[in-house]
Amino acid sequence: MRSGWWPCCRPCPSPDMLLRQRLSPARFLRGEGPRAGPLTLRQRRVFILPTRQGLFFAAIVLLMLIGSINYDASLGYALTFLLVALSLVAMLHTYRNLLGLRVDIGPAEPVFCGETLRVPVTLENPTGQARFTVSLHFPQQAKAVCDVPAGGWARVALPLSAKRRGRHALPRITLATAFPLGLFRAWAYAEFDARVLIYPRPASATPLPRDSVWQTELSGGQGQGADDFAGLRNYHPGDAPSHVHWKTLARGQGLYTKQFGGDRAEELWLDWRTAAGDVEARLSTLTCWVLEADAGHFRYGLRLPDQVLPLAHGPAQRDRCLEALALFGAGDGA
Amino acid sequence: MERLRQALAWRWRQVNRAQLWLLAGLALALLPHVGRLPWLLILPAALLLGWRLGVELKLVRLPPRPLRWLLVGLAVAATWVSYQTLLGREAGVALLVTMLCLKLMEMDRPRDVAIVIGLSYFVVITVFLFDQSLLMGAYMLLVVALLTTALTAFSRPEASVPQRANLRLATTLLAQAAPLALLLFVLFPRIPGPLWHLPSDATSVGTGLSETMSPGNISRLSDNDAVAFRVRFAGDTPPRDRLYWRGLALTHFDGRTWHNPNETRRDAGAAHSFDFTAIGEPLRYTLTLEPHQRRWLFALDMPASAPPRSTVSADVEIIARDSVKTLRQYTLLSYLDYRLGAGRAPRQFTYLRLPPAIAPRARILARQLRAESRDDADYVQRVLDYIRQQPFYYTREPPLLLDDPVDEFLFDSRRGFCEHYASAFTVLMRAAGLPARVMTGYLGGEDNPLGDYFIVRQSDAHAWSEVWLRKRGWVRIDPTAVIPPERVESREDLERIAPAYAALTREAPDWAKRLWRKAGYGWDRVNNAWNQWVVGYDQGKQLAFLKGLGLKGFDWQRMLGLLFVGLGLVVAIIALQLFRRRPPPGNAVGEAYARFCRKLARRGLARKPAEGARDYAARIIPRRPELATQIRHITRLYQRLRYAPSTPRDGLRHLQQAVRRFRP
Repeated sequence: MRSGWWPCCRPCPSPDMLLRQRLSPARFLRGEGPRAGPLTLRQRRVFILPTRQGLFFAAIVLLMLIGSINYDASLGYALTFLLVALSLVAMLHTYRNLLGLRVDIGPAEPVFCGETLRVPVTLENPTGQARFTVSLHFPQQAKAVCDVPAGGWARVALPLSAKRRGRHALPRITLATAFPLGLFRAWAYAEFDARVLIYPRPASATPLPRDSVWQTELSGGQGQGADDFAGLRNYHPGDAPSHVHWKTLARGQGLYTKQFGGDRAEELWLDWRTAAGDVEARLSTLTCWVLEADAGHFRYGLRLPDQVLPLAHGPAQRDRCLEALALFGAGDGA
Repeated sequence: MERLRQALAWRWRQVNRAQLWLLAGLALALLPHVGRLPWLLILPAALLLGWRLGVELKLVRLPPRPLRWLLVGLAVAATWVSYQTLLGREAGVALLVTMLCLKLMEMDRPRDVAIVIGLSYFVVITVFLFDQSLLMGAYMLLVVALLTTALTAFSRPEASVPQRANLRLATTLLAQAAPLALLLFVLFPRIPGPLWHLPSDATSVGTGLSETMSPGNISRLSDNDAVAFRVRFAGDTPPRDRLYWRGLALTHFDGRTWHNPNETRRDAGAAHSFDFTAIGEPLRYTLTLEPHQRRWLFALDMPASAPPRSTVSADVEIIARDSVKTLRQYTLLSYLDYRLGAGRAPRQFTYLRLPPAIAPRARILARQLRAESRDDADYVQRVLDYIRQQPFYYTREPPLLLDDPVDEFLFDSRRGFCEHYASAFTVLMRAAGLPARVMTGYLGGEDNPLGDYFIVRQSDAHAWSEVWLRKRGWVRIDPTAVIPPERVESREDLERIAPAYAALTREAPDWAKRLWRKAGYGWDRVNNAWNQWVVGYDQGKQLAFLKGLGLKGFDWQRMLGLLFVGLGLVVAIIALQLFRRRPPPGNAVGEAYARFCRKLARRGLARKPAEGARDYAARIIPRRPELATQIRHITRLYQRLRYAPSTPRDGLRHLQQAVRRFRP
């Protein structure tokens, strides 16, 4: 128990790091490489340097020292030394404000290229010391600032602008703080072994290729779909609330579920060849079509030069298709 | 009315509290400069502070940029008008203050805020260039706390913490910084003296002795109790009526005013050789002079040498190289009995000159008395007898002497204080052909019974004469001292000018007066200690302190080494405290119960591992039946807080209280 007081005394969490690696400037500038799962900011990961304000403060203190010497003002010395001591103490406080935090990320919802990805980052504070004004950011991205209460946690949705389609490794997160006096900035890098998916940018409203729509059954099909009301049946647990026939329930006649006939029997093949332009333009057009087909409750399939996604409908089909478009040409498709 | 109140409340919530901390700190830092800086600069500074406050309260807008530049120009111009310079201590401070207040108009980015707070700390240090008293130090500590609070408030603007928490945090930081600062203060090598010579300020207002003396012009002697200097004697303290603290010699008289046009004393380094013979044992003492903004230093009559960075003038005045702007301490040797300038007659021109038209009646008296006396010494005695026998009175409120102050005083009013007597006596000496000059300085002082030192106050200021007598040289004559006690108007004055007589007739003061006096001495002792150990802490004290610790022969390199080792140690201790893992709150219930278990464990009733709270209680109650109620109460509370679905209100507090009171 006592040995746990001082973080240095703790056995090093990753003994795989050689001293040379520990001291290499690359680690200082680029971090340690991606890791999976939650990451604890130990003193090995937290760096500290004075801020620009801290340097200005140092210049003022130096001037004060010169003035005190010149005018032989003993209280001037006292004040100068108090400020020096204050900044030393502030340095420790700033360092501590980051030390011991656990950082983890959650899965980010895929977005379209050009939008902003929101990566959920959780900061957990297992210590008895509240943390204030911890800022997080991806490189060249907007900052998010949060406080982490003692023994609690904070969650921020960290913005990351999606610039290229595909599946990308999550960039390094920089955690920084200048609390409590703003004279020093402590920072740490958190790099996670996680990937984010970015769909192609949808082309601006391109009409669906109507000629590739053909109707298999004019009167609509059997089975269950979402378009044509077909009758009521007894409610089964798990039925969508939007399909519950609330009127009968309101009349006190029991719980019924509305049944719909098969989807409008329009089937749609979205084909690489029907889209025009270069690769990215075609992908954009196809993305737009997938979204429109999904909104129009079509059964649709996707034909790409390297793969074919069979006819289906619903959110799962949509995500499948968008992912295929996002990863098109990425080699293994993973 | 209600709506107004709500609008104000809403507005108050919008206010950036960090800015308020900053403005409060800055305003308090500037306050001591009020009265020291010209109103031409103070008023605009106050206006700008108020303007910023108005901006923060959303009452007014910031001035447009061209106006700001105009204001900057005006500030520089105002400083120039007030001081005719932009350099030096006072002009520099004035410029800093106005520029800082102007910067308040342009404080949007964090960088500007950092500049303003940094410069505000600098304002604090400028106050110390003028005043380093204990009270000022304490006051400025408050200002530093406010400014630090502003820094913390700016560094967590989004945090939803109450402003009290910012103040507390700043106080904590300062408290943790205090030991480090103390270490630096004690061990940082002190470099003596100015690094470069700064232009002396022409406008500084001095306190204490003035450079001239015009007896007829003052109708009331002020009763200023401020301390002029404090003295610690190495050996025995001489009797008070022998403590003449020599200050300035005034050699020229124009009929109304005494002054000293001697230019040689202005240039430092002009060495004078003296025909000085010491008689008896020297007195060694250390004098701590309060800053009085003038160049002269005081020494017990007659000093054998001059302190460092000062010279002795032809009239044996000690003139420092720079005016005394901060507390100055020096150790001197003085001889109470001496012979000065006995070998050679002084220059007639300087010490015999009187304006031809003044004091005709005094000249007649001088001639008459001189004719009656055997020699010069006899003449001096006859003049003193004249003052003793004629109805001369000592009063602090003499009548104004308008036409011929000397004659009017000697023959008409016959009421005055030391300046009148010294002036008239010196005129009588010169009129009879005896070289004479007026000396000003202090007389006596009081012993602080609570400390081992003497206090000399401004109210102890005194003037006397020095007469040159053949074979005896310059002899100090104090004509005020010959006035019989019954002709001294107030008891306080009698104590001052005739302490030996006053001691005979002293009545016991009542207890309230005694207590008041004792408190005054106590306070003065605290101030003296402050002056000696804080304000007067210099290289010598530093070395003496280290010597006291048994570290002899320290040079500054070793001192720095010791300083860094000490700093590293203290920082390590603070870091240990800070980085110690503290359990998060929320497990306070378990903590309290663990404390209860520890208390019992100390009595040999340790809880076994994995033993339930109830089993533990059941096991120990038979062994300590007298504690049964308490143990049951604590166990029940703990179990309920730990396991019950809803916890009772204040349950935790009750548990903690019960555990605290539990003494097995």
